[in-house]
Amino acid sequence: MTVQVPPEVLSAGHDAPASRPARARGRDTLAGVVFLGPAMLLFLVFVLGPFFVAIGLSLFRWDMLTEPEFIGTENLTTLIADSSFYNALRNTFLFALASMATHLVAGFLLAIGVNKLRSRVASYFVRTSLFFPFVISWAAVALLWKYVLDPTFGMGTYYMELVGVSPPNWFTDPQWALPAIIGIDWWHTVGFTFVIMLAGLQTVPEQLYEAARIDGAGAWQRMWNVTIPMMSPTIFFASVITFIGAFQIFDPIQIITPNGGPEESTLSIVMYLYQQGFQAFQAGYASAVALVVFVIMALVTAFQFWISRKWVHNQ
Amino acid sequence: MSSVRAGMKTPLGRRTLLRAGPLAALGLSAAGALAACGGGSGGDGEAGDGTGELNLIYMGDAAQQETFQSLFDEFQSSHPEITLNANGIAAGDWATFGNTVSTRIAGGERADIISVATEGQRLMSSKGLFEPLDELIDRDSAETEEFYDNVSSNLQGWLDKYGSPDGSTYFVPGGYNTVAMYLNRDVFEAAGVEIPDTDWTWDEFRTIAETIKEETGAFITTAGAGFPFGQILPWLFTNGASTLDAEWTTATFDSPQAVEAAEFVKALVEDELVPQPGGEFDGATQYQRGSLASLTGGRYTLPDVRRLEMVDQTKIVNFPNNAGPGTPIGWDGWAIFKASENKEAAWTFLKWLMTVEASEYYAEQGGTNVPVREDVAASESFLNNAPEGTELIATGIEFATPVPSPDQQALVDAEVNKGWEAAILGNQPVQEALSAANEAMQELL
Repeated sequence: MTVQVPPEVLSAGHDAPASRPARARGRDTLAGVVFLGPAMLLFLVFVLGPFFVAIGLSLFRWDMLTEPEFIGTENLTTLIADSSFYNALRNTFLFALASMATHLVAGFLLAIGVNKLRSRVASYFVRTSLFFPFVISWAAVALLWKYVLDPTFGMGTYYMELVGVSPPNWFTDPQWALPAIIGIDWWHTVGFTFVIMLAGLQTVPEQLYEAARIDGAGAWQRMWNVTIPMMSPTIFFASVITFIGAFQIFDPIQIITPNGGPEESTLSIVMYLYQQGFQAFQAGYASAVALVVFVIMALVTAFQFWISRKWVHNQ
Repeated sequence: MSSVRAGMKTPLGRRTLLRAGPLAALGLSAAGALAACGGGSGGDGEAGDGTGELNLIYMGDAAQQETFQSLFDEFQSSHPEITLNANGIAAGDWATFGNTVSTRIAGGERADIISVATEGQRLMSSKGLFEPLDELIDRDSAETEEFYDNVSSNLQGWLDKYGSPDGSTYFVPGGYNTVAMYLNRDVFEAAGVEIPDTDWTWDEFRTIAETIKEETGAFITTAGAGFPFGQILPWLFTNGASTLDAEWTTATFDSPQAVEAAEFVKALVEDELVPQPGGEFDGATQYQRGSLASLTGGRYTLPDVRRLEMVDQTKIVNFPNNAGPGTPIGWDGWAIFKASENKEAAWTFLKWLMTVEASEYYAEQGGTNVPVREDVAASESFLNNAPEGTELIATGIEFATPVPSPDQQALVDAEVNKGWEAAILGNQPVQEALSAANEAMQELL
């Protein structure tokens, strides 16, 4: 049977948007501006504005106290020859890569383990325990670990010696300072990665596991062929935000190994930026550092997105 | 243990940017900020009529702010025509305070008065931020002469040399700190060691440290880096060394005397006569427990000793010496911003700070520095409820050396800390560590 649609109905349907009164469209536009305005204003004032100011400042020598002096690209050429900048960049990449690897692996495994807990009470307790350090401020965490690992009076040192382990001087040995910071950062923030992973894990359809079991897949094969592919968008998301967060590391270093010591072994790029801007009062040079960091982070993130096409399984 | 010096304790163009082209086009708000606090030319404020509102910036943690606030309240009660808005900055040390203040001023914060430590006086006065005080001092000589007659000539000379780029007076000194040693009598007695009278040598110090360690297991004191005023400079100054020359233009951190000092401290670390540096512990609590035989510090250490009710069990002696007595000294100075629109009222406040009453009141309230007035530093206001030997912190000014404070103070300090730490921990040979730091410091200078 054919349904005859009256021409006026079609016409009315097609013409409806075009015939909306201009006043209504104006109201929609106004509503859009009102809703977007505050966010756009904040973005302009606190992100885009400072970004362009930083570009401008990078062309000046300015100590924040006296008149700025235009020096063109001198800050950039100085930066290229600055060994401390390269030290900071190397340390930051090491930290970010180590942080990303340890957070993703541990967060994933912890999520698998907690997801298997049958007791709701135990699951709730473990989830809360794992996430708890994340809600403590960095300042408190840094000081806590500085006390715990004090080489003479530290509780951690005491118990390690009690079991026959002679710990290194964590924060003054250049070989151990960065690994120690990586470890403390892991303790503080792995709970966040864990929660993301757990949320991702709980979205994997149970019937896929059932089908895999029926096909004779073992636990390892189910993990490798079902869990990981289905969680790849979650893992990708966690890897991007972990890397960006790690690249901005500052607080624990400032408190535990001030000025990035010993021997610049914990000097991060953000700390170096802070030193140049607010200790050396070289606002122009610090801006140049900030711009280079921005470019590096943009390139790394773009690389992560590009490589994600090869392994992220989008449903 | 508190890791800052007292004053102290726990340790600023306008039209310019319009000419800066792209920056101005980008609307850099700091331009107005700098204009507000007035550096360079054209930043002059007004004298005012001696009444109205005053904004004051100073450094202090929560406890110090409480003490300072009682001082300001005292001023307020005697000068109701002036409203004093005090803004305490809880910086950990003077270098951080200087950085914070500079950033705030660049960000547009206005103030009339500021308390600046030695570390920032030359840098900030050279930027033309402050009002010269000479005319005011001369005009009100009836009130100011008596004050300056009571201030150590050493300190007045240092204020001229290090606190002024042009011979003008920019700061009214408030208080100072030197470094001495607070000794725990109980630990010395338990070890069967006699407490030194006032002075002791490095050799005597080392011998006593060994005996105390052997007899009680306690550490003689602490060692480390991060706070040059209390942890590094005393060792250098008592061996005729320093980080910089007297003009603060040449690095001298790798002199034979400095190397000898670092080697001495390194030996203390290696022989476990001091706790291993690198962590964090409450030094005052360990001192009370008898795990530490001494605390190194100035007047800023006293609040901890009082809090732990250790005043009677403590004796203060000079820092042990090798080449001769020595101690770093740092002082705070009060300055009036050139852009202040109420300079007369600001000057009234500074004159009030010079009085015996204000100085005594601050000392009695628990002030964490030595009053610059010698009469008050020798009075009961300063010596009461304090360990035997407290006067040594004041008389240390006679053989003290001003804490080296070049324009790049924070970065120079970072290099000093880095070199000293590498040396005493054995991360690098002592000479190599200090020479590397010295080279880096010279580049900064």
